[in-house]
Amino acid sequence: MFTQIALGTMEQGLMYAIMVLGVYLTFRILDYADLSVDGSFTLGAATATSLIVGGTDPWIATGMAFIAGTLAGLFTGILHTKFKITPLLSGILTMTALYSINLRVMGRANISLLGSRTVFSDFAKLPFMEEYGVLVLSLGSVLLIGAVIYLFLQTELGLALRATGDNELMIRSLGVNTDLMKILGLGLSNGLVAFAGSYVAQKLEFADASMGIGMIIAGLASVIIGEVLVGTSSIGRAILAVICGAVLYRAIIAVVLQLGLEATDLKLITSFIVIIALVSPTLRKKIASWSAGVSGKEAQ
Amino acid sequence: MLNVHEVLKTFNQGTVNQKIALNKVSLELLPNDFVTVIGSNGAGKSTLLNAIAGNFMVDSGEISIEGIPITRLPAHKRADLISRVFQDPLSGTAASMTIEENLIMAFRRGKGRRLRRAIGTKERDLFRIELEKLGLGLENRLTNKVSLLSGGQRQALTLLMATLQKPKLLLLDEHTAALDPKTAEKVLELTCGVTEQQQLTTLMITHNLDHALTFGNRTIMMHEGRVILDIKGIERNNMTISRLLEMFEKASGSHMNTDRMILA
Repeated sequence: MFTQIALGTMEQGLMYAIMVLGVYLTFRILDYADLSVDGSFTLGAATATSLIVGGTDPWIATGMAFIAGTLAGLFTGILHTKFKITPLLSGILTMTALYSINLRVMGRANISLLGSRTVFSDFAKLPFMEEYGVLVLSLGSVLLIGAVIYLFLQTELGLALRATGDNELMIRSLGVNTDLMKILGLGLSNGLVAFAGSYVAQKLEFADASMGIGMIIAGLASVIIGEVLVGTSSIGRAILAVICGAVLYRAIIAVVLQLGLEATDLKLITSFIVIIALVSPTLRKKIASWSAGVSGKEAQ
Repeated sequence: MLNVHEVLKTFNQGTVNQKIALNKVSLELLPNDFVTVIGSNGAGKSTLLNAIAGNFMVDSGEISIEGIPITRLPAHKRADLISRVFQDPLSGTAASMTIEENLIMAFRRGKGRRLRRAIGTKERDLFRIELEKLGLGLENRLTNKVSLLSGGQRQALTLLMATLQKPKLLLLDEHTAALDPKTAEKVLELTCGVTEQQQLTTLMITHNLDHALTFGNRTIMMHEGRVILDIKGIERNNMTISRLLEMFEKASGSHMNTDRMILA
């Protein structure tokens, strides 16, 4: 029983880690809170499942999910850079538009993949993969994507992307079109999020129009948990932190569920994790200045 | 070299806050000119530099460098011609990235960014040699994040970044104003060294009248969006700070913020 839950948590955590890597690219690298994630996660699931049901090869369907997500991210990026809409609103607009698009793609509110071929059912047919196929494929995918992101961020293009999030004025004065960098980053990020959405849907053998709700907050919570526990001293470490954070976040959720909380309470808990993480630096400063004030008075 | 022709820039046009920041200003720089720019707050010094760098589009007038018209180019497309050092030491470098990463980005100023590994051994060796010239010990800290450096170190690094790939025009916007006097002298010394060695055409804003007369070969004074004084050669050599102030008051009909100008 316990190993079952642990295995399930691990598998889910690794799949969500792909999504969290996408969130990391926008939230940390570009310093852009991108809310389109909620929509593009579902878009990935919707695209992959409806294609698979329609008879498309699941591997190609997964690739198409990535492309669909990338397009959604490009749209957010263009809204923000070309039409000067604020980051938050650009994301919300894409997210809202995607809700209708996802329903169109699926043709109904949910799709079942029961009995269909998926990347996981294919992978399970390989030797020794019957039991741990999902885990191995998820882990392999995360490690591969993490490594590619790590290498990408060391390239000339990757450095320009990082500098866009760090000091836009400076990198523009060095000749980089920062609008293009933001569009690129958002596209890549949402592509990964949709890719993760397609994995999760294929594992659950189910896609639902509302499965992406709260995904951005879950992503932020995972990034923050990972950063606190693993650290961010280098890019490699930060990427590792993101992956660990995603798995840990799923573990926390699993524990909370085992303790008897309802699944419907999860979003509340997730929001609290993010609020605590966002508030704690300010709170720590306030406490520090307060105690400094007290000791200062004592000294007088 | 640099040709600014009757450039007009109005901020907040059509509102009560309307301000003519550049009033048909014209300026021509010869190759190897090192021009210091002085003027009271709001005189249009920084606006002039921003107009040349392309941070905004001017309302009318023409700007060209070596005959290449740049008036309508966005900032990032002028980067192969122009490099800048800002007043704020924080704004010239990316804090979360390492020294070598900052340097390689500057090394590729104005060139395309490709999908290939940015830093190799060759670049690292070059950076070590260049950093050694700063005399700040940064050559052994290539992989340190820039956020670990002091303001002076960051400004020296920014200066190196601005000149690593020789620009046609170097813009210095009070780049020592935020530093303590000793560090400011050091950065100025580095500035002189590199401009002489690379024979750069330079435009330097300063609030320090002494610096304005000692550094470079030409001094211009701005007031209300125009150049009201332009001295070089013997006229400049014979100039004193008090006479400069006098001329300013005569030309502009108002008093300059003298305390700050002298004490700076």
